[in-house]
Amino acid sequence: MLEIRNLHAVVEGEELKILKGVNLTVNKGEIHAIMGPNGSGKSTLSKVVSGHPEYEVTEGTILFDGKDITEMDADERAHLGLFLAFQYPVEVPGITNKTLLREAYNTIARANEREELDPLEFEDYLVSKLDIIDMKDEFLNRSINTGFSGGEKKKNEIFQMAVLNPRLSFLDETDSGLDIDALKVVSGGVNKISSPENAIVMITHYQRLLNYIKPDFVHVMMNGKIVKSGDISLAEELEANGYDHMQKELA
Amino acid sequence: MSNVSKKEFIHTYVQLPSVFPENFKELRLQAKISLDNTAFPTKKDEEWRFTDLKSITANKFESVKSGMLQASLELDEYHLPEARHSRLVFIDGNFSPAHSVVEGMPDGVIVGNLNKFSKHEKLRSHLGTITNYEEDVFVPLNDVNFQDGTFIYVPKETFIEQPIHILNVFTDLENPYYVTPRVLFVGEMYSKATIIEEHIGLSNNIYLNIPVNEFRLYRGAHVHHARIQRDSKNASHISRPVAMLDAHAEYHSYTICLGAKLFRNEPRVIQNAEEVDFTVDGLVLIDGEQIADTHSIMDHRFSHGNSHQLHKVVVNDQAHSIFNGKIFVAKDAQKIDSFQENRNLLISDTGKVNTKPQLEIFADDVRCSHGATIGQLQDEEVFYLQSRGLTEQKSRELLVYAFALESVESMAVKSVEELLLKEVIAYTNRD
Repeated sequence: MLEIRNLHAVVEGEELKILKGVNLTVNKGEIHAIMGPNGSGKSTLSKVVSGHPEYEVTEGTILFDGKDITEMDADERAHLGLFLAFQYPVEVPGITNKTLLREAYNTIARANEREELDPLEFEDYLVSKLDIIDMKDEFLNRSINTGFSGGEKKKNEIFQMAVLNPRLSFLDETDSGLDIDALKVVSGGVNKISSPENAIVMITHYQRLLNYIKPDFVHVMMNGKIVKSGDISLAEELEANGYDHMQKELA
Repeated sequence: MSNVSKKEFIHTYVQLPSVFPENFKELRLQAKISLDNTAFPTKKDEEWRFTDLKSITANKFESVKSGMLQASLELDEYHLPEARHSRLVFIDGNFSPAHSVVEGMPDGVIVGNLNKFSKHEKLRSHLGTITNYEEDVFVPLNDVNFQDGTFIYVPKETFIEQPIHILNVFTDLENPYYVTPRVLFVGEMYSKATIIEEHIGLSNNIYLNIPVNEFRLYRGAHVHHARIQRDSKNASHISRPVAMLDAHAEYHSYTICLGAKLFRNEPRVIQNAEEVDFTVDGLVLIDGEQIADTHSIMDHRFSHGNSHQLHKVVVNDQAHSIFNGKIFVAKDAQKIDSFQENRNLLISDTGKVNTKPQLEIFADDVRCSHGATIGQLQDEEVFYLQSRGLTEQKSRELLVYAFALESVESMAVKSVEELLLKEVIAYTNRD
């Protein structure tokens, strides 16, 4: 589904490389976790894959279903089925969750020549997804993330994911700032959305989230590259010994 | 480089009437003296330093003869359903009985044209009494020239339920012309009314629109006043709305600026007794080479007053917004709570904004806050929406819409709110 080959990237207009040759393959039905210390480039990877204009790819390619999406705009990537759950979801006063999601859902439907939903149908569809993150109806009519608590913002990302039903989702530090109850709700939501037809890549600093969402593959990212890949035991090893230990070992 | 410019007077740019209209002779004679002695403003005047008056000074404006009325003009599309029994229509400044309707008003209420009620005692005792702008040529020009206008009188403890729609329509007269709409509103003790004042250019022609409004609110009177400016994109509009409030009066005004090449609005609210509450909100959506300038005064002369001003502006292309918001608090006018905010959104690289809050406070126990921001759409906001599948264009439109929405939602009349939402969508979808 996703194939990243030798990906190099810089912040637009700057010299310093943040990604220095990332390779990653994700197939449908798989859950991946990318772990790494602060500044390793793991959040940047998720932004570059979703088309953030702040970054420039200087080398390498991103293929989605065999199609080169390296130069595509973020919205076109969303139309193909890519989704990014933000580490810091943006507050947009004046636009309700419902307005955004209807516009997004129907834009994606149009791009894929699927039927759009009228306001009433869409309302029913939205309400049917609220259970996934244990939210009340009022949530739909609130301005996007405006005045939301940290936990509510993260829940909202997973709610959007449930509604837009992407084929590949990057979850960028979705566990950060969540207390244990919120973490259970959020990870429970992700598990409900996860299916043999879609794929998920979790970006996380700590192993904690992986207790709730079980990855098939774990990758360790350091200094702009994936330096080690394995299964869940790799995460356990990191938890026990820390990133410094692994860095020394690799050196 | 010395640049000695000679003073110009308004006669240079407008053709004054050779004979004054019959009514209100005394007011007109006084005003004529002001006009003969007051120079037309230039950028050298502090209050006009940012405002390019070229769209006035490049023309010579004729006055419109009375009786040039186009009775067959089709104006249905501008009607508001809530005001279907309470509408006054002025075409190029002339009152049009054929287009107007006033029905089912409570006893004692007057909603009509100035000429018809020119002998009315309340009209005579109020007209021209609170419009004292300093060094001013525009109110006097209105004084000498207005052919007709609106007179609204609401007796004691009377509530007019339906909003009153004052519709000023500007037709496609070929030569540049000027019009001086006038409104006098008198609200007696504990009366209540909603006024929608609208200015609509039917064509893209050049005209100069100089409305003067006087709102006198006695004890406990409540007024909502929506002003919608949809003049021709080649018109100039200089507005002078004044409200004077007695104790417990409330005056809430919302001005929406969409049209005109040059718009200069100078709202003033005067607190004339203790305990009043007023709002002077604005929404400006401009593009092309439009200039929209608001110079407002919230004048607290007595204690215990609340005032609120949220002035929101969106600037596209080479448009230019100017804001000067004055809050005056007189010595001994204690316990004033005044809030002022000017928020500007620049959506082009070539737009321009000048903003200046100006607080002159001579009392020591007051709370006055003000703020001004000039910003662009945040890249992170655009990316967030785009990552959900919206195009970049749609994302930007939605963000501008959201910015403007706050002002629109405070409209007291449903159909006005809907009309403005349409205008906001049209503005953001322009290309």
